[in-house]
Amino acid sequence: MPEVRRGTAEPLPTIAGAAIGLTLLGLAVSQLAVSAQSVPSTGAVATVRLKPDTTVPPRLVLDRYCVTCHNERLKTAGLTLDQIDVAHPGQRAEEWEKVVRKLRTGAMPPANAPQPSAQDRTALVSWLESSLDAAAAAHLNPGRTDTLRRLNRTEYQNAIRDLLSLDIDAASLLPPDDSGHGFDNVTVGDLSPALLDRYISTAQKISRLAIGGAQPSAQTDVIRLPADLTQEEHVPGLPVGTRGGVSSAHTFTHDGEYDIQIWLARDRTGSVGGLRASASHELLVLVDRTLVKSMTIEMPPDGDDTSVDAALKVRVPVTAGSHQVGVAFVKNAASLLETARQPLLAHFNENRHPRLTPAIAQVSITGPYAAKAAGDTPARRRIFVCRPDDARPSTSSGRPELAEGRKEDACAKQILSTVMRRAYRRPIAEVDLKGPMARYREGRSEGNFDAGIGRALSAVLVSPEFLFRVELDPDGVAAGAAYRISDLELASRLSFFLWSSIPDEELLDAAIRGTLSRPDELERQARRMLADPRSSNLASNFAGQWLGLRSLESLDPNVRLYPDFDDNLRQAFRQETELFVDSILREDRSVRDLIKADYTFLNERLAKHYGIPHVYGSRFRRVTLAPDSARGGLLRHGSILAVTSYATRTSPVLRGVWVLDNIFGAPPPPPPANVPALDDTPVAASLAMRQRLGAHRANPACASCHKTIDPVGFALENFDAVGRWRDDDGDSGPVDVSGALPGTGAFRGVAGLEESLLSRPELFAGRLTEKLLTFALGRGVEYYDAPAVRKVLREAEPGYRFSSILLGIVKSVPFQMRRSS
Amino acid sequence: MIIMKKALPRRTFLKGVHAALALPLLDAMIPAATALAKTPAKPVARLGFVFIPMGCDHSRWTPKGQDTLGDLSPILSSLAPVKDHVTVVSNLRLENAYPGTHDTSNAGFLSAAFAKHTESSDYYLGTTVDQVAARQMGQDTQLPSLELSMDISSRAGVCNNGYACVYSNSLSWSSPTTPLPSEAHPRLVFERLFGEGGSAAERRAVLRSRASLLDSFSEDIARLKRRVGIGDRARVDHYLDSVRDVERQIQRAEAAAADSPVTDLDRPEGVPAAFADHAKLMFDLQVLAFQADITRVVTFQLTRELSNRTYPEIGVPDPHHPISHHGNDPEKIAMIAKINTFHVSLFAQFLEKLKATPEGDGTLLDHTVYLYGSGMGNPSVHDHENLPILVAGGAASGLRGGRHITYKEGTPLANLHLTLLDRVGVRLDAFGDSNGKIEDLFG
Repeated sequence: MPEVRRGTAEPLPTIAGAAIGLTLLGLAVSQLAVSAQSVPSTGAVATVRLKPDTTVPPRLVLDRYCVTCHNERLKTAGLTLDQIDVAHPGQRAEEWEKVVRKLRTGAMPPANAPQPSAQDRTALVSWLESSLDAAAAAHLNPGRTDTLRRLNRTEYQNAIRDLLSLDIDAASLLPPDDSGHGFDNVTVGDLSPALLDRYISTAQKISRLAIGGAQPSAQTDVIRLPADLTQEEHVPGLPVGTRGGVSSAHTFTHDGEYDIQIWLARDRTGSVGGLRASASHELLVLVDRTLVKSMTIEMPPDGDDTSVDAALKVRVPVTAGSHQVGVAFVKNAASLLETARQPLLAHFNENRHPRLTPAIAQVSITGPYAAKAAGDTPARRRIFVCRPDDARPSTSSGRPELAEGRKEDACAKQILSTVMRRAYRRPIAEVDLKGPMARYREGRSEGNFDAGIGRALSAVLVSPEFLFRVELDPDGVAAGAAYRISDLELASRLSFFLWSSIPDEELLDAAIRGTLSRPDELERQARRMLADPRSSNLASNFAGQWLGLRSLESLDPNVRLYPDFDDNLRQAFRQETELFVDSILREDRSVRDLIKADYTFLNERLAKHYGIPHVYGSRFRRVTLAPDSARGGLLRHGSILAVTSYATRTSPVLRGVWVLDNIFGAPPPPPPANVPALDDTPVAASLAMRQRLGAHRANPACASCHKTIDPVGFALENFDAVGRWRDDDGDSGPVDVSGALPGTGAFRGVAGLEESLLSRPELFAGRLTEKLLTFALGRGVEYYDAPAVRKVLREAEPGYRFSSILLGIVKSVPFQMRRSS
Repeated sequence: MIIMKKALPRRTFLKGVHAALALPLLDAMIPAATALAKTPAKPVARLGFVFIPMGCDHSRWTPKGQDTLGDLSPILSSLAPVKDHVTVVSNLRLENAYPGTHDTSNAGFLSAAFAKHTESSDYYLGTTVDQVAARQMGQDTQLPSLELSMDISSRAGVCNNGYACVYSNSLSWSSPTTPLPSEAHPRLVFERLFGEGGSAAERRAVLRSRASLLDSFSEDIARLKRRVGIGDRARVDHYLDSVRDVERQIQRAEAAAADSPVTDLDRPEGVPAAFADHAKLMFDLQVLAFQADITRVVTFQLTRELSNRTYPEIGVPDPHHPISHHGNDPEKIAMIAKINTFHVSLFAQFLEKLKATPEGDGTLLDHTVYLYGSGMGNPSVHDHENLPILVAGGAASGLRGGRHITYKEGTPLANLHLTLLDRVGVRLDAFGDSNGKIEDLFG
């Protein structure tokens, strides 16, 4: 019997005699005896009672096709199926789930072994899945997330934004997070001294930025531009007619004057790149798109440009708050470069792609000077929900300073409890206020009311109640039992899943009222949160990690082979994929469209890279593609094709593993520790890629995995290491793009790969669900989560809309429950 | 180990904050005499490296005398006030920098390793001597090491002859594949060393509030510990260990702040326009870093390889790199000599400042060893023979100055690195391409 806390009625099915949901392999199953409606051919929910004896019974299927290798004697891959009891799969769920995955994806039996008929395979899988689901329903295992999980960098930054209306750059304040199972919110139980130290520094800095502080001294922030950024064209956010430079939001703590200083990019010898005696350049400094100063840069008559940027500074009055600081050059009209060879788009390095015009290396903002009192900023408005003067005077005292102090204390308490409620994500009791109020009094005695609030705010931001997400076993629950997590814990899970941030007021209120776990309320909140712009987090944070886009930052293609690569292209790659995934989310399209779509997002730089004409300007816009276009779904995105390549060439192995893991759901095992070294026979670089990797197939020890991995990558060989389409590969002639996926026949090229994936959409949808569930729970998905994943898929069929999958996860057992220790 | 003459009572700086933690007695609080007995006999307390590019004019660099440094050569004349603390070393070479380029000169100076010839991200060099030392010496300081330079922008792609820019950007590498970035902005260096807060009073206040925040955290963690299950208590104990570590760091910082004369210094405003002023500021920051014991290992790239900087302030209107290819033209050689002299004078001023700063039973200079030099010898032919090398300071560890030692031709520079590592307590069999130690440097 499942043990459940909180006394809520469990709306979960019991085993005996109930309808069992089935998901089919997308093939007609005509021989199954059905007691309800007939079964449609492709992946639809059907209510069927299985009678195992109408087709080949599961035991016979195993004996005929599996036991040849997977027996007690050979123990292939550590799996023995000859003695195992197939009538009660629930008793050995871990092994059976592995079997199910292999059977579903078609990875087993191996291609060169006898295959069961489609019906028999389906019947076996159906039997196993329905039994496993039923067993799981009888003994719920929601898995156990860690009790204490630290906010990672992204979550911290978003939490500060939502808590204090303050934008910070967490990447410059906190060290990077480690990843587990592909996501950086998994291994977050640690708190090293270095990290604690940084949290303290960061809390103090944030407090100062948010409150303003009493005696400000000038601080410097430096904006550094990447060294490989081409600055010849327009940058979004800066006025049309300018080129290069940077536009960045900066938080000014006080009304006052700030120095903005600019350094120009210099090449390896120390000269300003792109500065010639023949031309002068106008540099503009803008605050909130208003011109503050314009400066002229030209080569001095003696040709010595050592001090040419010494005078590039301006002192400007700015009000407190967040403002856009922009620095850019006026674009000098220039005629098109008429050269025999197509000019490169990248210009940042003297050797191969010299700068045509000067560029900016660094901008520093120092201040405030002549600061006035802390100005009115969104953060201050957010924090100061009352002022000590507004508080009603105490009625019982005759001493004015005591009344004053009580007024201030009362207001301080109000301010702090408001902030702490959102920061700690729970109702605040008197005992919670003790610590922060003590800090407030410290700061108040050393300074003024604002200083006291500032000190207390730092304490709140350093509290483990803010830094950690805590999930506690309730009292009285038996060991190893499944219990429903509290509404407050559920609210946090929901907001950190969809927004990577703290719950907002509405969500928190629902949780405090105790209504959040009601199915209709939960769905309403989840839908509301998906419609909120903050859910773009799924496109940037989740998809960025799932698809491996974080590797774009360190992408460094060989400059000789791929000379036309700069930071502009790197950022464009990322933008295309993030905007694309976001569009699938916003329009609630089917996740199938992630694989194959007739549109993408481009700006001029990326369009030129892809060879798509008539796209002008730096702004990203949706572009409908021609039917024969080489672009479309994720498999054709430059970002993914580049991060799955080496600096000098493509890698079918990397691409194969990437597709099998992230898209198909059958990740190959890692190479064994004692993988035999290939002969030191060098392979001619002029050979086709397929031949160069020939040793993978020739050596049987390697072939066991590589005969599955390599063909997937070969199908993508039309795309080079920076994602451009090619029909030939250098000297080795036309690329051979025949490929294969487990369980399908052969196909050609990326189109064939897409078609094969879409013929079994439940595999991709299932893998995406697993990745989303990992991200949602902050733990790796295990065999006991498989029934929950199958349930999500069943409810998302046949459309597989993004929202159906997301809501399915929110409603799932692992998301709503937890196993006690 | 910095020797404080007094043992500070704990938490003298905290006013009115109840201590929620009872910490064990910390070694920072052990009186000086006892602390000394635990450390190796007369170790070198601090190590610094200054790099200049494109070799030198040997005719004006190499002193005439052997053994005792009699008259200083023209380029080294500014070292007169600290002559007794400086040793000029001749005939060291950097084999692994061949085939000679500017990039390998920079990359090889502290690594003595062969730089993989690549423009791409598969660069490979070797761990540099300062980082090996930092692993030993940097345990007790806030920053294990400090990397400084004079260059505001960074470069990407190819810098010279097919070498990736990391080779000429980074002097320090913490592993063969990890070049360390350096900071050239004095303000950012200052903030990294001393934290935020413009004035000394502000910085003290910041430290005080850090300590109080740490108490805040510990109180909350203690409460949390009571609520979590037994299985999670060990995890919370780990957090408390971290709290203790951070408390120690704050106490050290506080102790240093209370004791040292740097507390009155305000943060530098911007980057000085003149090269000499910028360099002096960067050197001053190193003095401060040592005085406050924030770090004990420093590297400083005084100028980049391939620099085209002109030095009109000393009468050199032509860019550095082209004239370094002097082809034996006496006028160009003379200008190179002027640049060399200028650079040495900046270093000499720094040594004088170290000498004028008392520490323990001597001066800061006595407890610090600096290596100044280049990875290139004759710039006109790009060779890496007879590198211009100075070793300064270290009297407290037996480094006898006032000498000119000429080693057997072809002695690897790595031998010197190996010797220095030995003196800071890192005993290796070899470093880079070393074939032994340099014995007669230390008495």
